[in-house]
Amino acid sequence: MSPRLLRRAGSALRYLLLSLAAFLSVFPFFWMAIGATNTTADINKGKVSLGSALSANIASFVAAVDVPLILWNSVKIAVFGTALTLLVSSLAGYGFEMFRSKLRERIYAVVLLTLMVPFAALMIPLFMMMASSGLIDTHIAIILPSIASAFIIFYFRQASKAFPRELRDAAKIDGLREWQIFLFIYVPVMRSTYAAAFVIVFMMNWNNYLWPLIVLQSNETKTITLVVASLASAYYPDYGTVMIGTILATLPTLFVFFAMQRQFVQGMLGSVK
Amino acid sequence: MDNLTWRGLGLRAALACAGLMAAAPAFAAEITIWCWDPNFNVAIMREAGQRYTKTHPDVTFNVVDFAKADVEQKLQTALASGTTSALPDIVLIEDYGAQKYLQSFPGAFAPMSGKVDYKGFAPYKVELMTVDGKVYGMPFDSGVTGLFYRRDYLEQAGFKPQDLQDITWDRYIEIGKAVEAKTGKKMTTQELNNGGMTRIIMQSGNGWYFDKKGKLAVNDNAALKGALETQAKMIKAGLIKPATGWNDYVKAFTSGDVASVVTGVWITGTIKAQADQAGKWGIAPIPKLDIPGAVHASNLGGSSWYVLASSKQKEKAIDFLNEVYAKDLDFYQKILTERGAVGSLMAARTGAAYQQADAFFGGDKVWQNFSDWLGKVPAVNYGIFTNELDTAVTANLPALVDGKPVDAVLKAINDQAELQIQ
Amino acid sequence: MAMTGSGTRAGGLRRYYDVNGWLFVAPALLLIGTLMLYPIVSSLMLSVYSGRGMMMRFVGAGNLVRLYSDPVFWTALSNTIVFFVIQVPIMIVLALVMANALNDPRLRFSGLFRTAIFLPCITSLVAYSILFKSMFSVDGIVNRTMMAIGVMDQPISWLTDPFWAKVLVIIAITWRWTGYNMIFYLASLQNLDRSVDEAARIDGVPAWGRFFFLTVPMLKPVILFTTITSTIGTLQLFDEVYSLTEGTGGPSNATLTLSLYIYNLTFRFMPNFGYAATLSYVIVVLVALLSFLQFYAVRERR
Repeated sequence: MSPRLLRRAGSALRYLLLSLAAFLSVFPFFWMAIGATNTTADINKGKVSLGSALSANIASFVAAVDVPLILWNSVKIAVFGTALTLLVSSLAGYGFEMFRSKLRERIYAVVLLTLMVPFAALMIPLFMMMASSGLIDTHIAIILPSIASAFIIFYFRQASKAFPRELRDAAKIDGLREWQIFLFIYVPVMRSTYAAAFVIVFMMNWNNYLWPLIVLQSNETKTITLVVASLASAYYPDYGTVMIGTILATLPTLFVFFAMQRQFVQGMLGSVK
Repeated sequence: MDNLTWRGLGLRAALACAGLMAAAPAFAAEITIWCWDPNFNVAIMREAGQRYTKTHPDVTFNVVDFAKADVEQKLQTALASGTTSALPDIVLIEDYGAQKYLQSFPGAFAPMSGKVDYKGFAPYKVELMTVDGKVYGMPFDSGVTGLFYRRDYLEQAGFKPQDLQDITWDRYIEIGKAVEAKTGKKMTTQELNNGGMTRIIMQSGNGWYFDKKGKLAVNDNAALKGALETQAKMIKAGLIKPATGWNDYVKAFTSGDVASVVTGVWITGTIKAQADQAGKWGIAPIPKLDIPGAVHASNLGGSSWYVLASSKQKEKAIDFLNEVYAKDLDFYQKILTERGAVGSLMAARTGAAYQQADAFFGGDKVWQNFSDWLGKVPAVNYGIFTNELDTAVTANLPALVDGKPVDAVLKAINDQAELQIQ
Repeated sequence: MAMTGSGTRAGGLRRYYDVNGWLFVAPALLLIGTLMLYPIVSSLMLSVYSGRGMMMRFVGAGNLVRLYSDPVFWTALSNTIVFFVIQVPIMIVLALVMANALNDPRLRFSGLFRTAIFLPCITSLVAYSILFKSMFSVDGIVNRTMMAIGVMDQPISWLTDPFWAKVLVIIAITWRWTGYNMIFYLASLQNLDRSVDEAARIDGVPAWGRFFFLTVPMLKPVILFTTITSTIGTLQLFDEVYSLTEGTGGPSNATLTLSLYIYNLTFRFMPNFGYAATLSYVIVVLVALLSFLQFYAVRERR
């Protein structure tokens, strides 16, 4: 085989591989979208073509669920939670990297160790703390434990290694204080790092299930993920309606990802060197 | 910007956040209830609440729905952490788990004996919520079991409805083989990861994983042995279309893939939702084990309401449950016709709704039959480790199918269970 | 801060530096201290107790003894290790191969491919469990498709056969997380110096040779990073097995992981919080050990 032919074959193989991977990755989303247009009976029969029950499914979902309230709960938790996580964790990542000391390095190691403890082990003591501070059934109780995320602190510390020190020195000479350097120089320079972290943290917060489940007590505070889970748990779930719920539960993360895609990929650059 | 303004801004932002995050305030004399299944328990409890509010306008109800596993998880977390403020006033608990909660969290639930007349309920329901002579709950729906079968498939294979009345499991397997030969349909479906079938057959043989005192009784347990052997026979005979999960299980019989299913009465609504299959179904008593004391009746699932001892509305909650669930016969007619819920209050059987013949099931008096069988369900002690034993049984059943002797399988189950329940 | 005389100037600077260092990390440390360390310590304390629900008694090392003689624990441990040993390498290699395939400036639709392959990790657990269970049921779309194209002539009972159930869990995790890891590789690939690669290409080194002997070594730090995060994720594996098996870890405990066993001991079985806490420290020890080994393996070859 001539080299050119070989290269052609290689390139075709590459497209084939990528198309297959892309198809397999996206297929379940198509399946979900198609499911939303079918009746439960059709979904159970395994129908894979578009149906005509979309509006009926939407109607029954809207009838069963206070959609604006539930979405607002989810958005509130995800957005506030993510903003606070980025702030607190990036402060710490920056702090650990820029101001090194032996003691802080040791503390940093302990912080990383907390990543290894499975959440199931912490749930009950954490719940007791939330209960004793009267935070049960509030969204604050959901956000609080996620704010100082060891993973995100680690991520920001790694990214800070790429932050040009000259910028910091120059700013210091100009008389800026440390918090001003952080706020007015570091944050804007690292904005794609923040974008990448935003996507990841938003995704984690939005999809969080176990902890909100335990903390939230009433229909008015529930998140979309919890609502969909309870709809899907009926003796005879109405899958058409559930599919509407799953789409609604997926769309915002999709949206965030698409909106920040470019910065996301750029932001990943700094974090992993 | 100077520090002062920053701090002011921060404070105001924090206050704004707190305001946004705060949950809706609770109302006085509001009874909060946790349960699962929006089409069944939740809807029924809302109906019950409306009835009570009509006569007691000062009491309102807040029915919160979670998935079943989630209700248990929330309840267990709150009880374990001693956080009574996080608990509802009333909670729904599946019957198998009742003793576990009552015994491992003593004092957490309010005893109701003396306030409720328990003589009116199916005895097995009362037994499972009794600890040291005190009764703790309000018996709710029954999971009395029946054999739901497809008339059309069985007819095609040459069987009449009478041929399914009061048969043994061996006969059921013979019929199943004939059905598959003639129609190409499997006789039944089963979730092999789930101990439901074991529990149904075992209880119909008047046995359980535990003896009457709650002690582990796996070795030499004729009912359990019969349950395991019956299932192994069915699997070996290729009678079962295996289901991968609950949804797959429901799909198997609602989409016409199998000729019959043995399960709890609460499935009736699901089967009737398949309007195109009207008239094609029938019901019969479940097949019987060939051991002394075995009957054609059993139970699968079913749950009951419990009032938390820490509830501020405890008295009102008990009164509410008593007024509606122990006295309101009309309520039982309504939830039967609208939701297909068979309660365990025996007096409800006399109502008109129970007498009706159902054309969907070829004119069978479905509800009358089920309530007759309900009275025959053997009362066993569910004990406190049903989930542990289910796990041990499902883990060891495949070995039986592969030819391991049944006594060795029972011993393996026993050994695994002993470690699990210490 | 007042400074007196030139002698303390250097000290003052150090202190200024130190104070700022603490200020930056203080909010995070405060939160971690109260919301992570305190629960960790209290669950460590729980691990020397055992009993039913709230009726616990001190057992000292009793939970460790029980652990040793608990066959379900050993099953869960071996399942977890099987998932880890098989799934993590598959996923890392797949992610590397795909990142490499995508990292070609001449490739068309690369943005489209990248987005599509990344998508699975943003799905929520609930959506994911519903989709996978219906797709992989015995007469689900996966079996039907495979039979239609002739890959097999018998449907696979994905969730009821112990072997295939494990395979399905591996497929499910791989589906969800390969794209996520790929993004990390892709990002650092695009940061690499292409000139070495180009020189090797001109020298006639084939593509696979360049991939294994040039690209992979240069990606070592990021591979280490993703391996460790995947190790943590796999050893704490819960979501996938919980949702695919409706919490049972079946069939025959074939998909029961340590985390799922902890969950069952806490919520499904008679609650034994002490024993559950002991189990969770098994995971901590495992993760710590494996992360250390991975660091060590990478250091060694330098």
